[in-house]
Amino acid sequence: MIEANGLKKSFGEIEAVSDVSFTAQDGRVTGLLGPNGAGKSTTLRMIYGLLKPDAGAIRINGTDVHSDPLPAKSQLGVLPDGHGLYARLTAREHLLYFGELHGLDQASREARAQSLIDQLDMSGIADRKVEGFSQGERMKVCLGRALIHSPRNVVLDEPTNGLDVASTRKVREMINRLRDEGLTVLFSSHLMHEVSRLCDDIVIINQGKVIASGTPDEIRSQGGNDQLEDAFLNLLEASI
Amino acid sequence: MSIMSIVAKKEFRDGVRDKRALLSAFFFPLSAPLFIYFLLNAVIEMSQVDETVSVPIYGADAAPGLIAYLTEAGIEVDDRDSQTLDPQTLDDVKSQVANQTLDFALMIPEDFQDTMTSYRPPDLLIVSDSSRNDVAAQVGQLRRVLNQYNQELISLRLIARGVSPKVTIGARPISIDVASDQKRTANVLNFIPIYVLMAAFVAGLGIAIDGTAGERERKSLEPLLINPIRPIDIIFGKWFASGTFALLGMLATLVLCVVAMFALPIEEIGLSFEISTKQALALLMVSLPVPYIAASLQILLGLFAKSFKDAQSYIGILVILPMVPVIIRQFMPFVTEPWMAGIPIFAQSVLMMDVLAGSGYSFLSLGVALISGFVASALLCLVAARLLTTERMIQS
Repeated sequence: MIEANGLKKSFGEIEAVSDVSFTAQDGRVTGLLGPNGAGKSTTLRMIYGLLKPDAGAIRINGTDVHSDPLPAKSQLGVLPDGHGLYARLTAREHLLYFGELHGLDQASREARAQSLIDQLDMSGIADRKVEGFSQGERMKVCLGRALIHSPRNVVLDEPTNGLDVASTRKVREMINRLRDEGLTVLFSSHLMHEVSRLCDDIVIINQGKVIASGTPDEIRSQGGNDQLEDAFLNLLEASI
Repeated sequence: MSIMSIVAKKEFRDGVRDKRALLSAFFFPLSAPLFIYFLLNAVIEMSQVDETVSVPIYGADAAPGLIAYLTEAGIEVDDRDSQTLDPQTLDDVKSQVANQTLDFALMIPEDFQDTMTSYRPPDLLIVSDSSRNDVAAQVGQLRRVLNQYNQELISLRLIARGVSPKVTIGARPISIDVASDQKRTANVLNFIPIYVLMAAFVAGLGIAIDGTAGERERKSLEPLLINPIRPIDIIFGKWFASGTFALLGMLATLVLCVVAMFALPIEEIGLSFEISTKQALALLMVSLPVPYIAASLQILLGLFAKSFKDAQSYIGILVILPMVPVIIRQFMPFVTEPWMAGIPIFAQSVLMMDVLAGSGYSFLSLGVALISGFVASALLCLVAARLLTTERMIQS
């Protein structure tokens, strides 16, 4: 479970996040939805502990991210905004390196890496250096290294950004599988149709504030439209 | 395994696979000693005078006495047989020397004997090109022999008049050189500290930048920092990998420089080069911290840069750091003071010169330099770890 409470964050004069609170529950997919520049990435970065909020608190399964960072972080699997990989390491070596950093012993990290390689359908590329991988292949490696330590909470920052249809579908399948395993999945997107397909709960943020939250049905009624996309736009307009 | 060694292992593996960086890291350490060997070898060869100097002489017939003297002094006369030394011949010879078809020449005037007997000094023309280092030794030899000839001639003339030749000598300057052979050799050896310390700064550079500015550029720093690990472990891991890379490059340079010195025939220019076990140990002790100081400096500065290129352009300048004391010493010689051992890099540079010269160092000063070097390096790492936690690291 991920709880965000009264988050605020400014960069100099610019207030990126002014009031964000929500809870992402176990066994549910929570979508953080908002236009570009709404404060989604900043919010997620506070959640996975790379930015310190000016006010407010974040708890991962009850552990405070900023007073107790290491135990909190070890319960999180993160696909951050930056999808950088080490060009000279193979896909498998990426997974093993991150498993090692998470303190997994050799046998369990090798077993876990193999199972992720199978799940993510990457046995053909697992032992190739990632240099020259396609966007979709790179995304698989990033997902794999985020999940290597079998986290109970998964945070994905725009996971389908820049992917083709087939890869997008793979990522969606992965998200559904994680939910079915009872994990907390929090992901951000600026695409309404993606969120509507995947999410059990939606948190809409705009200009650093949560302007609506709830199940897709609740969002429809709050936005006064049966079409989720129209409801979203109505809510955005109403918030300005 | 500790996080530090996990990070170090990964950085090392990454660095070894980077063939291009590897080439540029080790090209310098391997080529510098070779370069030095061939350069010094050429210098030694040039400064040596062959047993017999062959001198092209024009108008040799005019001065049989002088020719006999030269032959006796070990100069081989290459008789060019020109009876008349007219301006035409002089111009010819000058242009031949200028375009290097002739190395140099001695020209004796036709009326040498007549002028001599009438006690007027005849002109002996030495035509040479002073910008040519390769014949300087031979020309010098010829000049010395001619001076001796002159001295003897003067002495004989004075004796014939009943005057002691000593009246022509005012005072005799006598130089007493207290430098030992080894010390004089150390003067020639100043290039070793420069190259060895430079190698320490060059060999780990690629891996240090790749692990800092490179991580930022390819956006892999954020995924790394998300892990439940402390920034200090990341920095020390990167530091250890890059420092060890630099250490290997530096040791390769050190060993090759020493091998090059042993291979050079420096005894032929009156110098000697030997390294005792004590000196070898001292050399290792003095150089050990340098690659690690270099690594911590490069990592710290690398974190300020946003791209590999950016970092490379200004971190490369650090290479001149260890050269500064050596250069200062060339122009303003100073004796190593105990406090100097406390200044990292400076201490290593200065002490390495002393160790090679075989004097002016103690194991106490080496120990102080070793510890202060590693302390400075650790402090730089702490600053870098601090920097790694700042928000600017993940902002692009």
